[in-house]
Amino acid sequence: MRLAAVLRRSTRALAGVACSCALAAPAAAQVADPHYGDALFQFFQERHFTSVTTLMVSQHFERLPWHEDDAEVLRGGLLLSYGLHREAGQIFAGLIERGAKPAVRDRAWYYLAKIRYQRGYLAEGLDAITRIEGQLPGALEEDRALLHANLLLARGDAPAAAAVLQRIAPASAAAPYARYNLGVALVRGGDGSAGRALLDELGRAPAPNEELRSLRDKANVALGFAALKDEQPEQARVALERVRLDSPQASKALLGFGWAAAALKQPKAALVPWTELAGRDAADAAVLEASIALPYAYAELGAYGQALARYQDAIGAYAREQRALDESIAAVRRGTLVDALAAKNPGEEMGWFWALRELPEMPHAGHLAPVLAGHAFQEAFKNYRDLLFLAGNLKGWQDSLGVFGDMVDTRRRAFAERLPEFLSRSRELAMAPLKARRDALAAQLQQAESAADGQAFADTREQALIERLDRVQTALKQSGGDPEAAAARERTRRVAGALEWQLAQRHAERLWAARKALAATDTALAEAREREAALVKAQRDEPARIAAFAQRIPPLAQRITALIPRVDTLAAEQKREVQELAVAELQRQKDRLNGYTVQARFAIAQLQDRARLAQAPGGPDAAR
Amino acid sequence: MQRLLLAALLCLATAAQATETGLDGRIQDVKGDVIRLNRDLLVLEEELLFPASTQVAVFVSMDVGKLFELESVQVKLDDKIVGNYLYTPLEVQSLHRGGVQRLHLGNLKTGPHELVAFFTGKGPHERDYRRGTTLKFDKGTDAKYIELRIKDSSAKLQPEFEVKVWQ
Repeated sequence: MRLAAVLRRSTRALAGVACSCALAAPAAAQVADPHYGDALFQFFQERHFTSVTTLMVSQHFERLPWHEDDAEVLRGGLLLSYGLHREAGQIFAGLIERGAKPAVRDRAWYYLAKIRYQRGYLAEGLDAITRIEGQLPGALEEDRALLHANLLLARGDAPAAAAVLQRIAPASAAAPYARYNLGVALVRGGDGSAGRALLDELGRAPAPNEELRSLRDKANVALGFAALKDEQPEQARVALERVRLDSPQASKALLGFGWAAAALKQPKAALVPWTELAGRDAADAAVLEASIALPYAYAELGAYGQALARYQDAIGAYAREQRALDESIAAVRRGTLVDALAAKNPGEEMGWFWALRELPEMPHAGHLAPVLAGHAFQEAFKNYRDLLFLAGNLKGWQDSLGVFGDMVDTRRRAFAERLPEFLSRSRELAMAPLKARRDALAAQLQQAESAADGQAFADTREQALIERLDRVQTALKQSGGDPEAAAARERTRRVAGALEWQLAQRHAERLWAARKALAATDTALAEAREREAALVKAQRDEPARIAAFAQRIPPLAQRITALIPRVDTLAAEQKREVQELAVAELQRQKDRLNGYTVQARFAIAQLQDRARLAQAPGGPDAAR
Repeated sequence: MQRLLLAALLCLATAAQATETGLDGRIQDVKGDVIRLNRDLLVLEEELLFPASTQVAVFVSMDVGKLFELESVQVKLDDKIVGNYLYTPLEVQSLHRGGVQRLHLGNLKTGPHELVAFFTGKGPHERDYRRGTTLKFDKGTDAKYIELRIKDSSAKLQPEFEVKVWQ
């Protein structure tokens, strides 16, 4: 739990260097292309791999007409976060070259400055950052100031860096960390008084939450040790007294407090913190140092016997700790640490602001805190974890690509199987006779219209009546001028007139209906023609389309196949790299222990010499 | 002047490239290769599974959205449920920040269709809120993008649910 807290704080403290790319996108973006919004949606949830790949897909399909430049900034920022400096640099340079709008250009200059800083091109980085003309969106403005300060600091211009940092709002989350980093850098760089003033300001500042209280403790410890180095033990004591006793920094503060008392020739006062420390976990470097500091204080007080015993205890403790460190080194070399870390910290995506959250259960886990808190280790482990993610990604695609291949085969077979049936149905519905029938009907309609022929639109019943009337009229004609048929002739004439009148009445309505029906027929025929054309096109194009898909799969499969061993090899190499970083840190702990052991043996030898001299004839004890 | 700077930058990039033969450089190279491969695979997948001629995508976005606390969305296309999504606080926050969620990607035949969406959440005064919206649209031979947008109506002090069809 405590280790995790240390790691969280350590990661935060590094935030000044690893500027946030979460700000590549404008805050509360106004989105005019939904696919750009889709990339942002993934991005805001820290699914950066999904974000960059979907963004690149949308760029491929040219679906981002309103956000071309924004998309490039986002892509460049995402690639930069994965360490692809070269590609990211080309993207940002391209944006500037093609004269993107000022807001985009400013963001591009910011990222170029960041790339140059990370690659050590400080003058060029400073040049880029000073080309930003306007205010950057959201918290990116704060990151700009942090980056500017880091660039100036790296160039050795601490006063200018301090001036830049002064412009960051004190309420901003990053400001205290930036001031702490600057204070430490100034002290290390030789401008002790300026650095101590910054640390002192931080060390006395109110801290409303645990994170800031912890930072305040760190500032006080840094200030205390800086004062000790400058032989100002009184000031060191003032700073170290401000560290909370339950703070992760408490051991260091107690150690320094003891050294301050010793420097003030108050070995009795030094005994108090060092005795407290000696009872703590031996994996803590401050506790180990206290183990030889305590007998030193006893010796200063003249309690040589106790001093000797304590030195011997310390040598024993160091030997045990050396063995424990050897075990830790062996465990790290076996891969236990890295495997356990990877198992405890799984992730769906490649990392960015990802940080270790869970620590593995290992013997002597206390050794690991300084190992895991190191920036270099975290970055190296992040790379290893990224490679594991990529290996999983590639294996997933290998399976999917197999499915795509099957899908293409199924489509090819289905097309081949269904085509004859479609063709036969198409032949049955031959278009030419249908078109001829339609043209004949249209001609009839035209004729009926021009002749105002009502009979042409007679329905079946009316048609039957007309035929019947024709038959009756023929029969009446054959009967000659028979006077008995006169009444029938008159009746027939009237019926025929009534029928003609009815047909004339309905002519306009029926003509309109017929025209409408002909138009519907034309539409149906046009659709049928389109379908026929589509069928012809499909017949011609679909095999080529399916073949094109089939051709695209093998090269992609080859790329996957070629990448899998590359990723696996690199993962194995990176794992060794991570392990070696951990071993190097553990080895440093061993070297420190060796140093303490030598000091303890030397002190014992001195005490023994003193005792021998005291017992020698003429010595103080001999006289007694 | 700017051209000179860019040329200098490209020189720096080339110099950096030359030195990136170590483990870190090779890891960056492989990351770039896998990212580009993923793009090509996703392009193939989309063209194969969702060709433009039949593709339809449904998006959800939020414009301000202070009057509505989104919990879930259900989308029906031609009376068939195609999306049923329960939101996490992080997803809602991402929508507030300008993210647009692609809720559904599928295929539709050309012709008339109907989309019905139901939004569930908390409205003003913490009241449970469920609102539906309907869109009738014609699917042509180009891909169809439909955005369901949650807005605040400051006049009515009520959330509004808009449907926008992108061409």
